Amino acid sequence: MFRSTGSGLLVARIAWASLLRRRTRTVLVVLMIAMSLWGLLFMQGLYEGMYEQMIDNAIRSGSGHLTIYAKGYRLEPDIKKLITNIEEVARFLAKDQRVASVVSRINQEALAATANYSRNAKVLGVELGAEQKHGRLADYLRQGELAFGPKARGAVVGSGLAKKLKISLGHKLVLSAQATDNEVSAIALKVRGIIKTNNLAIDDGAVFIDQAKAAEFLGIGAGVTQVCVILHSEEEMVPLQQALRQKFTDLEVFRWDELYPALMQSRVMMEGFSYVTYLLVFAVAALGIFGVILVSILERIREFGIMLAIGTEFALIRKIVLFESFIIGFLGYLSGSLLGGLTLNYFRVHGLDLTAFSEGLDAFGLDAIMYSIIKPDYFVTAFLAVLLATILSVIFPLRVLKKARPIEAITKL
Amino acid sequence: MMVAAIAWRNIRANKKRSIVTVALISLTTALLVYSSAFMDGSHNKMIQAAVEIYPGYLQITQRDFRDNPSYDNLILDTGALHRLVEKTAGVAAHGARFETFVLYAAREKAVGAMLTGIEPEPEKLLSRLHSSLVKGRYLTKDDTNALYMGVELAKRLKVDVGDTLSFIGNGADYSFAADRVEVVGLFKTGLFDFDGGATFLNKPYFDQMMASTDLATHYVVLPRQPAAVEELAAGLRQQLSRDYRAESWRQTMGGLVEAMEVDSIFGYITLGIIFIVIFFVIMIYTLLTVFSRIREIGILRAIGTTPGQVLAMLLGESMILSLLSVCLGGLIGGALAYYFYLNPMEFPSYEEQFKQYGLAVTSMPCAFEPLTILRDMAIMFLLSLLSGLYPIVKVNRYQPVEAMHHV
Amino acid sequence: MRLFMVIMLLFLLPPQAGAAITAAEIIKKVEDNLNGETARLAIAMTVKTSRTQRTVRLESFSIGTDKSFIRIAYPKKDEGITFLKVDKQMWQYVPRIEKIIKIPASMMQQSWMGSDFSNDDLIKESSISKDYDANLLGEDGSGFSLELIPHPEAPVVWGKIIMGVSRSSFLPTEVDYFDEEGVLVRTLYYREVQRFAGRLYPSLWVMEPKTPDKAGHQTIVRVEAAEFDQPIDPEYFTKRALKRFSK
Repeated sequence: MFRSTGSGLLVARIAWASLLRRRTRTVLVVLMIAMSLWGLLFMQGLYEGMYEQMIDNAIRSGSGHLTIYAKGYRLEPDIKKLITNIEEVARFLAKDQRVASVVSRINQEALAATANYSRNAKVLGVELGAEQKHGRLADYLRQGELAFGPKARGAVVGSGLAKKLKISLGHKLVLSAQATDNEVSAIALKVRGIIKTNNLAIDDGAVFIDQAKAAEFLGIGAGVTQVCVILHSEEEMVPLQQALRQKFTDLEVFRWDELYPALMQSRVMMEGFSYVTYLLVFAVAALGIFGVILVSILERIREFGIMLAIGTEFALIRKIVLFESFIIGFLGYLSGSLLGGLTLNYFRVHGLDLTAFSEGLDAFGLDAIMYSIIKPDYFVTAFLAVLLATILSVIFPLRVLKKARPIEAITKL
Repeated sequence: MMVAAIAWRNIRANKKRSIVTVALISLTTALLVYSSAFMDGSHNKMIQAAVEIYPGYLQITQRDFRDNPSYDNLILDTGALHRLVEKTAGVAAHGARFETFVLYAAREKAVGAMLTGIEPEPEKLLSRLHSSLVKGRYLTKDDTNALYMGVELAKRLKVDVGDTLSFIGNGADYSFAADRVEVVGLFKTGLFDFDGGATFLNKPYFDQMMASTDLATHYVVLPRQPAAVEELAAGLRQQLSRDYRAESWRQTMGGLVEAMEVDSIFGYITLGIIFIVIFFVIMIYTLLTVFSRIREIGILRAIGTTPGQVLAMLLGESMILSLLSVCLGGLIGGALAYYFYLNPMEFPSYEEQFKQYGLAVTSMPCAFEPLTILRDMAIMFLLSLLSGLYPIVKVNRYQPVEAMHHV
Repeated sequence: MRLFMVIMLLFLLPPQAGAAITAAEIIKKVEDNLNGETARLAIAMTVKTSRTQRTVRLESFSIGTDKSFIRIAYPKKDEGITFLKVDKQMWQYVPRIEKIIKIPASMMQQSWMGSDFSNDDLIKESSISKDYDANLLGEDGSGFSLELIPHPEAPVVWGKIIMGVSRSSFLPTEVDYFDEEGVLVRTLYYREVQRFAGRLYPSLWVMEPKTPDKAGHQTIVRVEAAEFDQPIDPEYFTKRALKRFSK
């Protein structure tokens, strides 16, 4: 007991002293680890932030985690294919603990016209209050307010559509669409808000109107075309989908990744890409640590020989070497994580402004200002990577040391 | 010469260090060369695909057509334009298109789609319509009511090769245009929107229907050298009347070009991170070897070698090593790039994603540009020299006696 | 006949300060004068653009504003094309392809046969009295000037309409359509009032877009023959009619 604590302290002191003696290279290795971690954290947080933003936009403004349609609606959208048992569905979802929020929508293709222009558009009959809680639409609002105003005569319009129609707040918009009786129905609306979600399907065509108004306009007696569900945790998506499918056999239930397969692929591709980069960087970093440790062992081979000769166990020497590399790794990890964390936090709050490329980013449904994210497991991954790199880079030098028979080395020059 | 000889001797004397350094720098160089070749190659391919599938490298349109694509803004004399482009140097192919929107009657439902009159022969070179044929045949210059349509649209309309279809639309004189056409061929470019909404007719026949003889919405020009498209556009602009504009794909597809730039920026950020760590590793290795020779350096100084000579010797070593590694790495990276330039990598599982973004690409070749490879090699050479500089300068600051006693 | 009586009555009663006619009354009269119970018209429509000019002759049958049937008689190429509008649906038959096509909602804003009228103009019951509030802006010896402001919920794209109405015929003379910014978008002129089978009716309509992107456009409608309030075979307003009356 005494021995081990005593040797523990001793090990730390010896290791620290030898690191201080070779200050330049210690600092270089620490700097190397810190800088590569910094870069990796920055990259991971920013890239993931970018893709999560994209997915989040699509989930909040579009599909939710789960989307429910009437049978056959997805393949051939038609306002006669309605979810008529909406109350039953709502009741079922309301008592499920996994569900965070539910909204229902009435969707129909329409023509939006002003005195000068007309464009194809998509009517979304929504309940604004629920929608606001569901997708925090207010965050997407660029101009005006999220309200349909007195007698629900207002509309909230996607930014791309507003631009094409050259309309702004207060302008009148006439929507024409085919109603359930096959006649072309038309209503006049005032633009009260303009939103930009970076979900192109919404931005370039959506006209949000009051759900009751939409039902009246399209001649829908009861029912909606779409129910979107957001869950507390993405993990619950599949079980709930199963449950819904079993309970409501006349409805179709889709997960967001089934509706937007490209987004899911982006995420998978991004993760793979991050890991490959991590691997590459830490393989190189391990090489750096390895070189330093190897040289420092070879330089001290006589020192170690003397220690062994006076009865020190090899295990202690191994501990010293391991401790040295651990200190280096840990210092690098600490400074790198701190630097990376602070940088990520800066970009999490302020975002990276890429407005200069907004046309290109728009084409990909990306926000012009990218906000990074910080996840605790970044630092766990980083720690494991550093630990692995330091341990791996020590194994070989230790074997070299053992083979070199340090005691014999004393007699050498 | 003397310095070089000594440096070379030292390199051979410190085999381990030399090998590690060479391995490290050459691998890094290979990585950089390959990565930039892959990035450039895939971006070029994506842009190229997007450009070549249909829009073309260079478009001539009426001045206001792009802002307001209506029959009021048409090219009115394709004949004259044809003659003008024909005698312009550096043009590989050119042809007129007349794009219009029609309704196809499928049972009682009307499905809207693009109907374009094309000149089948030059169009073979101007776009990939011809090579995207999947069923039936492409158009000929003598075709009458033969329709070439996208597979997805055919699915939507539930028609196949050999079936007839009716369309109605507006002619260029605003007259009614309606006819029955026979589907003779189906194409699949991979762009969902295009395959699901575009149809083509032989222009002479189309012109009869649409009263559009000598009229066009677009006049598409293929440069002999795609890289020289800007010069060609500038040249055409000078000759064209002010009513027309000639624009290269950089203007007509600005969003895509920007998107690729953003992608490159992210790619270089990632490479930058890898370079930071490699920079440090090289610095560390140089430091280790230089300091392992500190006594040797002390002796050299003691016997009268000037610090300048020592510096020259160490720098010479570093330079030789770097040059060697960079050349080796350039060769490896270049070979990889060349191999993947000839045998593009396939990404079948990402097809869906690319399609969603309008990039009809499943295989990504590398670019093989010797100039870019040399650029990357030069960057790596400077980087490795730079990373060795600090240890070399530092070791040279020691006094000879101090150096000799350094542990 | 009933209309004639009304007009006679107007001439017989001397205008008095207390009995000034209201804007709403003027609109009502104008609408009654333009749309008979039934109408049967022969029309030549000329579409002019900066580049082309084209004339189409057509026959139209209508009951009120809800139902109408149109057959193209000239040019040869388009002869026999028929249109049917019932309530808010519109179909078209093209003999060359022997197909009946329903005009989808997305095509409503498209121009009708290249003219400066849209499908929408034809489909919507342009019921001014229903969709607009009318104010009398002014009057003089020859007529009235009315300002029409759409009701907030009326599904019309215009910001306002200024209509000139002739005092003698209670027919419109000029209708200016403004967008919401108050910019003039198009003007419709009614000219050359003639007596068709006892009824006064403008025989020349000219639609002129005023926006720069439509410079040089003009649509001229000349009413060559007209018959009002005669019974029309209801068979015209069925989908069968599209084919049957095409020939």
